Amino acid sequence: MFRWSISRRRWLFAYATLAPVVAIYLYIRILPIGQTFLMSFRNWDLISVNKPFIGFENYLELLRDVTFLRSLRNTTVIAFGIVFLSVPLSLLVAVLLATPRKLNPFYETAYFLPVVTSMVPATLAWKWILDANEGPMNQFVGWFGVEPQAWLINPRLALFSVILLSSWKILGYNMIIFLVGIRNIPQDLYAAATIDGAGSWQRFRYVTLPLLRPILLFVSVITVIQSYNVYTQVYVLASDAQGAPGYVVRVLVYDIIENGFRFFRMGYASAEAMMLLVIVMTLTLIQFVTLRDRA
Amino acid sequence: MKSMLSTTKTTPQLNIKTRHGLVGDISSTIILMVGAILMMMPFLWMLSTALKTPGEILVWPPKLIPENPTLQNFVTVFATAPFGRWLLNSLLLAVVSTLAILATSAIAGYVIAKFTFPGRMALFLVILATAIVPFEVYMIPLYLSASRLGLINTLPGLMMPFLIMSFGIFFIRQNAIASIPDELIEAGRIDGASEFWIFTRVVVPLLTGPLSALGIFAFMQAWNQFVWPLLAVNSKSLYTAEVGLALFQTGYTINFGAVSAGSVISVMPILIVFFVLRRQIIYGIALSGLKG
Amino acid sequence: MKVLRKLSAISMLVLLTSVALGQTLSIWSGFPEMEAFYQRVADDFTTDNPDVNIEILTQPLRDYERRITVALPSNSAADILEISSSFAARLVQGGLMPPLTEDLQTFVRGDAFNDFFVENASFDGDVYGVPLFRGQGALFYNIEMFEEAGLDGPPQTMAEYLDYAQTLTARDDSGDPTRSGWSLRLTGGGSGVAEKFWTILHQFEGSLVEQTDDGSWVAGYNNEAGAEALRYYVDLVNKLDTVNPELRGDAEGFQLGTTAMFIRESWVIGDIASKTPDLPYATALLPRGTIAIPVNLYVTNDNPLAYEFIEYALKPEHQLWLVENVGWLPNRQDIDYTPVVESIPQLEAFLNIPEDHVLFTVPPISAIDEVQTRFAERLVAAYINADLVDNPEGIQAFLAEAAEETNQILSRAGLQ
Repeated sequence: MFRWSISRRRWLFAYATLAPVVAIYLYIRILPIGQTFLMSFRNWDLISVNKPFIGFENYLELLRDVTFLRSLRNTTVIAFGIVFLSVPLSLLVAVLLATPRKLNPFYETAYFLPVVTSMVPATLAWKWILDANEGPMNQFVGWFGVEPQAWLINPRLALFSVILLSSWKILGYNMIIFLVGIRNIPQDLYAAATIDGAGSWQRFRYVTLPLLRPILLFVSVITVIQSYNVYTQVYVLASDAQGAPGYVVRVLVYDIIENGFRFFRMGYASAEAMMLLVIVMTLTLIQFVTLRDRA
Repeated sequence: MKSMLSTTKTTPQLNIKTRHGLVGDISSTIILMVGAILMMMPFLWMLSTALKTPGEILVWPPKLIPENPTLQNFVTVFATAPFGRWLLNSLLLAVVSTLAILATSAIAGYVIAKFTFPGRMALFLVILATAIVPFEVYMIPLYLSASRLGLINTLPGLMMPFLIMSFGIFFIRQNAIASIPDELIEAGRIDGASEFWIFTRVVVPLLTGPLSALGIFAFMQAWNQFVWPLLAVNSKSLYTAEVGLALFQTGYTINFGAVSAGSVISVMPILIVFFVLRRQIIYGIALSGLKG
Repeated sequence: MKVLRKLSAISMLVLLTSVALGQTLSIWSGFPEMEAFYQRVADDFTTDNPDVNIEILTQPLRDYERRITVALPSNSAADILEISSSFAARLVQGGLMPPLTEDLQTFVRGDAFNDFFVENASFDGDVYGVPLFRGQGALFYNIEMFEEAGLDGPPQTMAEYLDYAQTLTARDDSGDPTRSGWSLRLTGGGSGVAEKFWTILHQFEGSLVEQTDDGSWVAGYNNEAGAEALRYYVDLVNKLDTVNPELRGDAEGFQLGTTAMFIRESWVIGDIASKTPDLPYATALLPRGTIAIPVNLYVTNDNPLAYEFIEYALKPEHQLWLVENVGWLPNRQDIDYTPVVESIPQLEAFLNIPEDHVLFTVPPISAIDEVQTRFAERLVAAYINADLVDNPEGIQAFLAEAAEETNQILSRAGLQ
């Protein structure tokens, strides 16, 4: 009898403390996610009382919607572009920073600063740098003999600009993760490699890289997943009282918000959101499976 | 300044020189230095533009160092927009969100780690599964819920989505399993301590490290929020610094100086916090990043 | 301490009761520059009704429209809403706003307003909104640049627009334009691009969407007018090279001197006055006619104060103040605007509209914003597409494809 009451007291504590957390959780996470799912099969304009069930029609329309497909393509290009630009660079910096140097704290700070800077002011700084008329970017590329470019207006360059500024922002974060990974590599492996006559490139190629592979995969996938939600940069680049530059870069979240809150197509926007979820889940699953195999 | 990760690991540093050591060292220093300068460029331009006169901003080629530095842009910004209020809103949002996330993560993470009760595994799996769902996926129904509750355009509505963090619960659970011995809890129980007392006096002090890492992460996450504040708040007095700045620039296309001054103002507080807590912040982010 | 606490409790109580006793009237607007106007009317109103506490809230248009859409169904919107006709239509059709009182309806139908504005504020035989002001376009041109180029007046025909654009373009040594002769809206978010295109299309007697005899809506640009309008843009950008997306254009470029002329609404007058007051410029009518977007005041409940406030807002003195200080055009036609036009001659092209000038407006149909936004996306790409130069088939194909999308949107919205 005594034992039973103790475990009951513990249950009571567990349930009593978890109840509010679970309640909040249900209300601001689980419920909305479920509602998005259900809404994606309906047609609703935010005003009407009727929300007719239309099955998979929203999804079928999405597959034919050029704007959605372009958003999807842009977002994909951006997400993978950020990985290809930021991951090798951050790995390079991390490897260089693994050797002790007097100025390391300075470098670490410089590379990490963009990570803590919020996105809106960061994008505004870039918006100015990339300005076609007065921006320093054109001066910079001019030193290498490149003609001035309309960075935010030319569709390809605008896409590249988003990749560039996002990579700048995330580089320091990836660098830190790599740095932790490198510091966790046992030093005697390097010592052994050096004794075997390996140079610094061979040490990187045959010791660092193989041991870092899980972290490399982790960083790449996390970067892709995060980048699929790209929105703030595009919003800031594209918003302007006059003709907005950067509008050419239409991304998924932009499209979701526009369809939902501007064209009042809540069901359609929900279907789009579900597509985003499917993409993110697939990527996570790939990461999970690959990492598990290696472990 | 000490290297930020030197506290996390005490293994001896790699210190073996090869024949190419010196050449390699010089070239790596050059790469690191050029890279560091490029990384800081946007900040320098932001500051430079903020200090320029309208005439000088339009001069080609642009000069990094203003010829006649002026604070006029900052005066303009404070005269036309309530930046102080926006920063305060951001701070309120970040503080409330951080405290809420710390409280909910600590208690839920601990209970899930150390208590056996029916449904524990299911709960944990659900939390784990929703951790990867991007906010953008469910923001529309959340907006409608907030609207039904009359929370649109209020501070509580602004804070609503950020009271809880799936990853926070997961993170604390892992740490509680790893660093809180069951014996310690049992000892407390045998001494007749209440479960609540054990949690606040025994468990929380042992979790200080992970909790502060989580706190930093949560604070930055809340400070950087954009999509939700943009949707959920409509009146100027409730904007966060991020939203205020983004909408401020739309009215000032002709005035890059004012926009840059606004950027400098909104970026300053977080940079100051960063320089003060540099090591903790980087450590916290490194920890949180290694969740996988 | 105790005294202090008591005092503060009492002051709290007084504060609460005073709020409870006084009546509140709230007004929302989607044009931040209108705040000064409402404040002025409110000051006048509270002089006569000192108990009334008036709350004015203005915010950027898109956020504002989102806000009322969510607030109206939950009865949390302001007493008075300022909404453009086309956006209000879907709210009125959705039964979210009541018609005006009989008295006010009679007043609106009277001599004070042109039929155009009454129609745009009505639905199914009832008047729902009180016409307040309109956004209307005209040509802005830089007098000094015109004189330098030897032009002694604004262009009169579309052919002249083309000539003027070339004459007025300034170029650097390599021939690249440093100043556009005529700045066109070539990039930018959403409906703006389509609306500007519509204005040019209108000069060629085309329309973005048209209502057929059976009441359904179709794309109205897949024809000769659409082809001519698009050819205009394509030629000016790609063939004549008088304008490109990189050059600063629009009001901003006009103020900075990087464009010699452009078409825009009357608010630019106020904007120039505040930013570059010394700019020598004039305005002129467009060849055939221009866009006019009526903005009305709607009452969301039966608060009698709301109707009273609207009467104050319509007072001639406030209407005159509106055009002179904010730059939006008041819609009352029974007021003498001569003094304002005399002090601000640029208003002439906005306020003295000849009989044969054909006004058009964005129709009050629910899908129009989506139609414009989607079309705009295609236009932005087409404008800079050099393949469309001297390529009538290409232009035809572009228009046909775009029209198909437009019709699809219209049909999905049940308008076909």
